[in-house]
Formats: sequence, C-alpha cells, structure tokens
Amino acid sequence: MGDSGVAVRLEKISKRLGWTWALREIGLEVERGSSVVLIGPNGAGKTTLLRLVATLLKPTAGTGEVLGSSLQGDADTIRRRTGLLSARGHLYGDLNALENLRFAAWMSGVSVDEASVRAALAKVGLDHVSEQRAREYSSGMQKRLAFATLLMRRLDLVLLDEPYASLDADGIRMVDEFVDEWRAEGGTVLLATHRRGLAVRKADRVAVLQAGRLHRYCRPDELEPADLDPQPVLPAG
Amino acid sequence: MKSSLALRTWAILWKDLLIELRTKQSFSAMVFFAALVLFLFGFAIGPDSATLARLGGGLLWIAIAFTGMLSLGRTFQSEEVAGGLDGLRMYPGEIRAIYLGKLLTNFSMLVVLEIVLVPVAVVLLQLEPWGRFPLFVGITLLGTFGFSVIGTFYASLTQHLRARELMLPLLLFPALVPVFLGAVNGTTLALAGDPLDRIGGWIRLLISFDIIFFVVCIWIFPLVLEE
Repeated sequence: MGDSGVAVRLEKISKRLGWTWALREIGLEVERGSSVVLIGPNGAGKTTLLRLVATLLKPTAGTGEVLGSSLQGDADTIRRRTGLLSARGHLYGDLNALENLRFAAWMSGVSVDEASVRAALAKVGLDHVSEQRAREYSSGMQKRLAFATLLMRRLDLVLLDEPYASLDADGIRMVDEFVDEWRAEGGTVLLATHRRGLAVRKADRVAVLQAGRLHRYCRPDELEPADLDPQPVLPAG
Repeated sequence: MKSSLALRTWAILWKDLLIELRTKQSFSAMVFFAALVLFLFGFAIGPDSATLARLGGGLLWIAIAFTGMLSLGRTFQSEEVAGGLDGLRMYPGEIRAIYLGKLLTNFSMLVVLEIVLVPVAVVLLQLEPWGRFPLFVGITLLGTFGFSVIGTFYASLTQHLRARELMLPLLLFPALVPVFLGAVNGTTLALAGDPLDRIGGWIRLLISFDIIFFVVCIWIFPLVLEE
C-alpha cells in the first residue's frame, strides 16, 4: 500500500468484542491534513474505532491502511507516526509532570532535554506545577499533561478520545488550538466525542456512528439536527 | 532517533522503581510478610539447630516464593491505574521491552527483599551461609531470576482475568517446580555442606531453566500482549 493523500482508509471493517459486534462494516476515508470528528451516543463504537486505527485492536473482518501502512501487519510503523490521547490519559499519578513527560519521551524514542520538556509543559500551562505529582492534579490539568506527552512527538496522525471531557473554557480553547496547529503542520486529526456541538466546529468532516455502524459521513453543514442530538436507542419491550 | 530496546526497558524499570520508592506499597508488605513466615516457621520448629540447618534452605525459599507472589501480583498495577496497558502498547518500538522492564523490576525488588531477608533468616533459623557465601549468593540469584522470568510472564498472562489473584499462583507454582528443586537443594547444600559434591547438578539445572524459559518467554510475550 502506498503513502498516498489518504491518512486513514477503512474498507468494510468489522470488530467483534466477545459476543458483541462493536463495529459493523465501517468504510471511511480520512484525507491527510484534515480533521474528522466521530460523534455518536455511548456504545456507538467511537473508542473502538480509534483503538482500531491506533492498531491496539485488530479488525475481525475487513481491511484498512493508516498513513500508507496496513492495519493488519504494520503496527509498529503506524505507531511511530500516530499518537492516541485516550479518555484516561495514561499518566502515572505517583510521578510528577516532568517525570511523566520524560518517561513518555524515552518510550517514544524522542531525544529531549530538560528545556524542551519544560517548554511542552509551558505550552499546556502546567510549568508552574511541574514538580507536583500527577495524582494531585485536577482532571482538567491531567488532560493538559496528557496533551503535553503528544506535543513532544512529531506525529502525522493524532487520535483524540473525548478530548473536551473535564476541560474548562480555557482547556477547550487549548484543544482547539492544538487541532489547528497540528493541521497547519500537515497533521491529521481524528477526534471522538459525545460533545457534538463543540466538536463539529473544528471538523472538515463528521462521521456519525450508531450501534457500531457508520450512519452518516459528511461535511458539518450537511448534518441533520437528529445527528447532533440523536435519540438514545432503548431496548424493545 | 529510534526507540531502542535498552532505552525502553530502562524507562519502564526507572518508572516502576520510582513509583515503588514513593509509595512503598509492595515492598513494606513484602518485608513484613516474609519476616512473619520465617518467624512462624522458626517458632514452630524450635531451637533444634540440626533440623533448622537441614530445613533452612527450604524455609528461606518458601518465604521468598510466597512473598514474591505479592510482588508479581502487582507487576502491572501501575499500568492499570494509568488506564491499562494501551498506553505502553501505543509507544512505537520493540514491545518486548515491556516484559524486560517488568522482569527487571520484579528481579530488583526480590533481590532487595533478599538482602533484608537473609540476615533475618540467619538470626531466626540459625543459618550459617558464610562458609560458602559466594555459592549461596549465586544460587539465590539464579533461583530469583528464574522465579522472576516465569512469574512476570504469567503475571502478564493473567492480568486481564477477574480472579487473577487466584489464577496466578495456580498457574505459576507448577511451572516453577524446576526452579524450586534447584534453588532449595542448592541452597541447602550451600548452607549445610556438600560432602558428595552434588551442588553442581542443581546449579546446572537452574542455569538451564533460566536460559530456556527466558528465551521462550521473551519470544512469545508479544503474542500475549497484542490482541
């Protein structure tokens, strides 16, 4: 598969978790340098889709490529150029901010000095609490620190799972700025959120997931009101 | 710069030991538990020095094995608290570094425990390791390494199980029989004397087990961790 202008291409991707189909025949193309927002109710398959693109899950059926590499066989190449910000951030509460960033840099193979670690912290507004343990941070500050771990790497694809959760107005602005910055540098952003109104402002395209299926994939102005506020699917009876 | 195996292994070891140093959760519990086991055995057997010398090696390894289970059970706890192993898996590079880092963490913790435990055993069980001390240390390190090699692997295998506290010892102890055979017999011979020079056989068993299981575990670890 070539390194084309498509960052993510999924063809009839399905994923079964236990006895449940989390994703059913998803077909999706994300252009390089674009921002795509996944929206849908809880259990729609947003996080599963992000984990699949991140190579943390293997598809049960279907094929896909990320940044020109096959999803099935080239996980390490994809991981070198892809960053995932999960809902829980993957931070170590008993390490301080500097230590968390140093660990992330070592694990990523990024050569960093003290100044660049501090610069990443300053960028997310945590330089004044760099010696404080992450467990003492508020959830919004932890989210900022998790963002800083991504900032130290040169990434072509950034996957953000519920990035707006726990953030105040400043934090939301920070996420927006990061998305703009990554895209300005040619990076691609795939963002999953249930805060639909917030997310679609920054989207080139929106993918609406419902019960594991891709319900709609369109520009934000083509969304229907029901897509932005879908009724929960209640069990029959 | 490519993320090398050595750098990633070092990063995990550094992170886990730093967290342990700050929380002291595992190590304090391990020391108290091991000392309690030795005290109870010493108390039950009484001051018969001949019996204590004969059983000393076995009793020491019972304390190490049971205490080691506490350490192994917490191998992946820092990852769980941080949101699961996805964080480590998402980093690029050799995934075996996760196994090596965790293995070295467990091995280091057990060696530090033994440094505390052996003097306690010398007092409580009237052990006399000084005559063949280098041999005693060598056998203890070989046994500890074998225990850590297979223990870390089984800890990764059972990390997602709901009943992992039950399953880990159930799966682990049968696999550790060769290590315990070599370690207990070797330690006993190093402590009580070895007129028939049988200790070499137990050392060879320990070395063979350590090498074979280290190679097997590190080879198949990615299959355990990746979906």
